[in-house]
Amino acid sequence: MATNTENTTDVTTVERFFDHRTRERWLRRGLYGIAGLLLVFLWIPLAVMVFLSVAQNASTLFPFEGFTLQHYAATFSDPGLMMALFNSAQVATVAACIATVLGVLASFALARREFPLKSAFRTFGILPMIVPGVVLGIALLIYFRTLLSAIPVVGDLFVPGFLTLVLTHSVYGFPFVLLIVSARLYTFDEQLEEAARDLGASPLETFRDVTLPIIAPAVGAGFLFAWIRSFEDFIRAFFTKGTMDVLTTAMFSMIKYGAAPKMNAISAFIVLVIAILLAVAMNLGNVTQYVAGGPDE
Amino acid sequence: MAASTDTNNRSLLRTARGKLALTAGPSTIWLGLLLLAPLTFMVTVSFMNINEAYNIVWQPSLDNYGQLTGPGLPWESSFWNTAFMESLLLSYVIAIVTTVMCFSLAFPLAYLLARKGGRVFKIVIFLVLLPFFTMYLVRAYSWLLMFGPNGVLNATLLKLGMISEPLAVFNFGVPAIIVGLTHAYFPYMLLSLYASLDGIDFSLVEAARDLGASRPAVLKDVILPLALPGIISGSLFVFVPSLGAFITPRFLGQGKVLMIGQLIEERINSLYAIGYGSAGSMFIVLTIVVAFALAFRYVDVDELGGV
Repeated sequence: MATNTENTTDVTTVERFFDHRTRERWLRRGLYGIAGLLLVFLWIPLAVMVFLSVAQNASTLFPFEGFTLQHYAATFSDPGLMMALFNSAQVATVAACIATVLGVLASFALARREFPLKSAFRTFGILPMIVPGVVLGIALLIYFRTLLSAIPVVGDLFVPGFLTLVLTHSVYGFPFVLLIVSARLYTFDEQLEEAARDLGASPLETFRDVTLPIIAPAVGAGFLFAWIRSFEDFIRAFFTKGTMDVLTTAMFSMIKYGAAPKMNAISAFIVLVIAILLAVAMNLGNVTQYVAGGPDE
Repeated sequence: MAASTDTNNRSLLRTARGKLALTAGPSTIWLGLLLLAPLTFMVTVSFMNINEAYNIVWQPSLDNYGQLTGPGLPWESSFWNTAFMESLLLSYVIAIVTTVMCFSLAFPLAYLLARKGGRVFKIVIFLVLLPFFTMYLVRAYSWLLMFGPNGVLNATLLKLGMISEPLAVFNFGVPAIIVGLTHAYFPYMLLSLYASLDGIDFSLVEAARDLGASRPAVLKDVILPLALPGIISGSLFVFVPSLGAFITPRFLGQGKVLMIGQLIEERINSLYAIGYGSAGSMFIVLTIVVAFALAFRYVDVDELGGV
């Protein structure tokens, strides 16, 4: 009798064990399946677009009429579009420089100093990233066009154009630098600086030879983020650009007038450039950590 | 002369107050002039009288808001019966559905990423981040190719003989907008969820399982509460930009659907109707303030900086 009971329990345990294993396996397969489908969802429209950029018939898949590079040739010989690309790069570079200088300084305040209203300062600092583009764009447009342009002598500076766009994007890029650089500074061992000072280095020498090399990757990543944000922004630029065209606004008017072939080509080109930049950045520094705010190094 | 400048510089770097002024000062001034002042000016304009030439008459008035809402009070149906209010409600619905979609799609992937590390992680993150860094305009445009009566989705199904005429669901409209917005803001949700799931001690999950909790119970009582900061910040980062979206509804609505961002943009760019524009923007700003105030009851501001 006793042996019988023992046997039964044994069987159920074994069965349960197998049952557990199978369920675990199916659960894992299900998770991988969902993850795979998600990647397909993220990639399919971009893949279709890249495909159409080299297809003779640029508007849709069927009828397929063969491959061609003529859309790329037409895109890169379009003077308006190339001018807009150049403008975008210029605006993004100046704006990202301003955002980086201000963001690095502010990161030191956050990481090193204690002051009243510190959390308000931090919230204020990430606000440009939170305010929707339509709102920030309109607020700045009204501010520049109605308020600042009315100021005598300097007012003309604020007529929407290159300067107003740079100012707008410098504000938009700031939080990205602040978040990345301050995260790096929080993990910085301040004793290194103290050691340098004890050994007779001046504050500026300490900054140049000790602090800067350590935070340099984060500063670089912050600059890159601010640059990409400015380069890819449409809505803020749309309001504050004045009569100047940047790449996104030029692309927007292209879609309005239905020039799909060039749009496919320039878009596919951007995807390629960003893929290379991102791969380089991910190998240079731990981009995912900066973005995902994961555990510190 | 040179010596005194040098001492000045040194004292600026030496005193605590000097250091604070040097580090926090420039950005405070910059953001004060280019963020706080414009937003304050917009709030002011929204409460001012605007004449027919769209100039500000410095007289307080609620006219701008009166243009947006219908006659009557909020509990009367005439109040909601305007183009703006209808578009506002539709925008809320679209933004909420997008947030829910993003959460249900991102959670399994974030969970998987948090439990697995290494090479697979790096590749998957690259594959997720790349569309994310790609121009927002390009992503919206890529969906413009997919949808529509002659879009890639309908054309492919027709070609395969699975349907005999274009499906309405793959036409431009609300479903297309939701798909486009989900595609656009999904990575924010994923990264926020990942950041909070990654900090979880998964031995807690095993302990709960060992103590006899079922899988759904573990999810409900252990994982979700621990991931709450990520869920809340991810939802904010999806909901807020979806509410004020402009390009996606413009491309994927093709004029059939008007979201609030489009209405405001149209009035500003075609008429420079600053009263309408700033009062309309106030609805977005107010919603954000309320959403963040609710969120701060559950999470800290530091936890929101994850993205």
